[in-house]
Amino acid sequence: MLKGKRKLGVVFFPAYDWAISSTHPERQERLLYTQDQLLEEGLFDIPGVTEYKPELASSLDVDRVHFCFPDVESVTTQSHFVSAGGAIRAAKLVMEREADRAFALIRPPGHHAMKAVHGSRGFCNINIEAVMIEWVREHYGRKRVAIVDTDCHHGDGTQDIYWHDPDTLFISLHQDGRTLYPGTGFPMEAGGPRALGRTINVPLPPGTSDEGFLHVIDNLVLPILDDFRPDLIVNSAGQDNHFSDPITNMNFSARGYAILSERLGPHIAVLEGGYAIQGALPYVNLGIALALAGLDYSHLREPGFDPDKYRQSAKITEYIEEITPQIADFYFDPPKTPKTGRFEGDTYVRDKEIHYDTDNIHEDQTETLHLCGDCPGLLIIESRSTVNPPCLGVEIPATACPACHAKGLEAFEQAQIKSKYRYIQLINRKDKDYQRFLI
Amino acid sequence: MLLGIDVGGTHTDAVLLDLGGIVASRKVRTDHANLLNSIAAVLAGILTSVDPAQVRRLNLSTTLSTNAIVEGQSEPVGVIVSCGPGIDPEYYRVGEHYFLAGGAVDHRGAVLENLSEAALDAALAACRADGVKVFAAVGKFSTRNPDHEDAILEKVHPLADFVTSGHALSGQLGFSRRINTAYFNSSVWRLFNRFADAVQRCAASNGLRCPINILKADGGTMPLTVSRSQPVESILSGPAASVMGIIAICNIDCDSVILDIGGTTTDIAVFADGAPLISREGISISGKPTLVRALKTRSIGIGGDSAITVQGGLVTAGPRRYGPCMADGGERPTLIDAFNVQNIIAYGDTMASYSGISELAMESGLDPETLADYAIAYAANRIREETALLIREINEKPVYTIFELLEGKLVRPAKVYVMGGPARAFATVLREAFSQSVLVPDNHAVANAAGAALARTTVDVELFADTQKGRMFIPGLRVERAVPGSYSLDQARAEAVDNLRDYLGAIETEDPDLPVDVLEESVFNMVEDGRLAGRNIRVKCQVKPGVVEAYKRGIRCQC
Repeated sequence: MLKGKRKLGVVFFPAYDWAISSTHPERQERLLYTQDQLLEEGLFDIPGVTEYKPELASSLDVDRVHFCFPDVESVTTQSHFVSAGGAIRAAKLVMEREADRAFALIRPPGHHAMKAVHGSRGFCNINIEAVMIEWVREHYGRKRVAIVDTDCHHGDGTQDIYWHDPDTLFISLHQDGRTLYPGTGFPMEAGGPRALGRTINVPLPPGTSDEGFLHVIDNLVLPILDDFRPDLIVNSAGQDNHFSDPITNMNFSARGYAILSERLGPHIAVLEGGYAIQGALPYVNLGIALALAGLDYSHLREPGFDPDKYRQSAKITEYIEEITPQIADFYFDPPKTPKTGRFEGDTYVRDKEIHYDTDNIHEDQTETLHLCGDCPGLLIIESRSTVNPPCLGVEIPATACPACHAKGLEAFEQAQIKSKYRYIQLINRKDKDYQRFLI
Repeated sequence: MLLGIDVGGTHTDAVLLDLGGIVASRKVRTDHANLLNSIAAVLAGILTSVDPAQVRRLNLSTTLSTNAIVEGQSEPVGVIVSCGPGIDPEYYRVGEHYFLAGGAVDHRGAVLENLSEAALDAALAACRADGVKVFAAVGKFSTRNPDHEDAILEKVHPLADFVTSGHALSGQLGFSRRINTAYFNSSVWRLFNRFADAVQRCAASNGLRCPINILKADGGTMPLTVSRSQPVESILSGPAASVMGIIAICNIDCDSVILDIGGTTTDIAVFADGAPLISREGISISGKPTLVRALKTRSIGIGGDSAITVQGGLVTAGPRRYGPCMADGGERPTLIDAFNVQNIIAYGDTMASYSGISELAMESGLDPETLADYAIAYAANRIREETALLIREINEKPVYTIFELLEGKLVRPAKVYVMGGPARAFATVLREAFSQSVLVPDNHAVANAAGAALARTTVDVELFADTQKGRMFIPGLRVERAVPGSYSLDQARAEAVDNLRDYLGAIETEDPDLPVDVLEESVFNMVEDGRLAGRNIRVKCQVKPGVVEAYKRGIRCQC
């Protein structure tokens, strides 16, 4: 009889009444065949595998993470609260030990959503995983978290949010940014001055197959995780590395995804992209679920899969074997200073131009981290976009020192007086105080 | 007049009803070795005072199939499975003659891989050698495309007395459930048909000329003719008979909980949206999940004969039953004995109850009244907790649209109906345990047979249309046809309802005008290369369980 080694909770929410537009990849149909497959396979009949419904995340849950301009409601729909609530439910199952592993099979996705949000980019409005992780930290204390993003696209949003956070390790495996949206995710992007080596990017060449992905998992991801010793491992489980995905160029298989999930062993997997909705998702999602539960997936094979046909070239193998140790060094022996951004006095500044492809918005942003010897430092974001006048975001970290705490409150207050910014938001993690000021 | 017979684990009950109420009732001990004897006995008894020609129908709830499956007395079945990739079908092996025949069909019904003729031939040869005479043909996603099941059926036909096709039993997804359901169906087929023959002869010899229906676990009935090819649908109908009985007896008009307390167990059911709730998944039997629709119930090991145990100062009752209560000559004190000690009831040999409880109390340093009080409180709390869990499970059931998630209706029971032998005894303490009002209907002693008598036909169908493939398929009814690209949800809905009505007509149900509810419907645009390629349409409709309205007035009681 089938019985998993681990208890698995699956939060399945296909949002059958929500789409970006009727023919958009993010449409009602996306998880239809996945649900058919899971039901036909009887996944939820297996002892230890249970289906749950999402909670509804609140604006507060979003405010803890993002600077949404002008406000949360303007840049989200109910679907985003459900999707984030689904991830929160998954995390709660694990934190409360109702399940050993959880899989949030939810949409819409979130890993392209950055710290500041003016609209939707890469089909993402709010960062589902970040909202979940910060919810966990708010309720269960400051956990060390590792996020391993196995979506085919660089998780630039998650990278941006955790750029300065030494307690969050972000590793992204993705198709090389020179060949695919969003065009970022190079090894030298290794984190801000306070968190160097906590962002690890592994760009893989088009055509990478199971062998290449698993090589990186075995020789880079697992050794780094061993060293980092996270309390919680989160997998941004995008499925667009599949050989049949219509918008990418990789050769990953359903079994490959299952093996990856088994070796990585994330506590929580969250669905991200993946748009081969008939030929890949039903099988990849099943494979991930079986692997998380510790069940046999050896009989899993998607239609049209031929290992010989989709095997990566020797050149790709050689290339990946060459870059893997070099990239691992970014964690084990990080550069002394960031390769991007600049130091101005006792601050570190990044100027960003951000394009929101889904909503066609352009944002100009200056992010300033006040470097402090006693705490992670105050973060200030000045932003304007084609849809919003100048806006300001001030974030006081949970472990802020008294000086940075005072400086943060002062900055929020001063901005209200000076009326240089139209929308001003304070994320005060220290006092769990989240405020918004509109002029 | 309507006649209902409920063959239960302990007793076989019969009730004869007319518009004015109960005309006659009979109760005999169930003869497990020969259920027909029990049926013949109650039939002969109840028909002595009336003209059999006046009986318009006989509804029968029987444990025949259930017992055969649970006790493993069923016939060997050749199970031939077309599997496809996914979970290894070896895990679903059932019985001694289970064969994989290759083949693969995907979620849209596309054939990915043909059946293996060689594997089929080998399976048939093995079955022939072992003298297997009944078969189950089951394919993964056969509810989307039955071709492989049909091919298996054709192949085994010369060898078979009977073949169950997986897709004919249910339109619902669930490969392993489909395998189990088809297996059980074939395994009890011969036994059930012999029984059906005998029931028909018995009815005829008693002068009955009316249609005979068999009760199902979903609280509805099917004509005996239908049950002959779908005997698995008759399993575990006992709790449904009781629930339908309470619905007939009481005018349930709000969300409610129904507790059926027996000797060993308490079955908890829920009434909401004007009908008893049906489980989304099928019922399990012998630890195997099936696609057989059943009322949503939860069964716990608390009943009148639940043995009282004291361990480490903690007084508990159940889940074991070692025999009858001491008031009935049993050897160990049970909850009934505790009720006797507490003077809540005065049942049987109350002195025996008192001495039994006293002895147990002495061993544990309690006085008898306290021990009895603790045991009863424990039982009441268990029932309350399990009821709360069931309600929570119902309200927590996953939904798949934002609308349902935000606007979905929650079940909030306002009343608790208690029935079964020890109902009155329990009700006194349940009143303290539940915040809802707790009611004990008057006629509860015959509610099960009355429920059987008054239950109506239920049917459910699922329609699946794929306009890109140009096909429409209703698996349970074996209706399949080509549809144009313009085929819409409105047309699909109408077609599902029409087909269900045609089916009701074809099986000659006595009430052909039953209301048909559309349970679920959805339409998805299928997009390929940024273009609309077709629509994927699903409609699920049913005739929900209910009781014959005209007869309710006669047996309605104050509750």
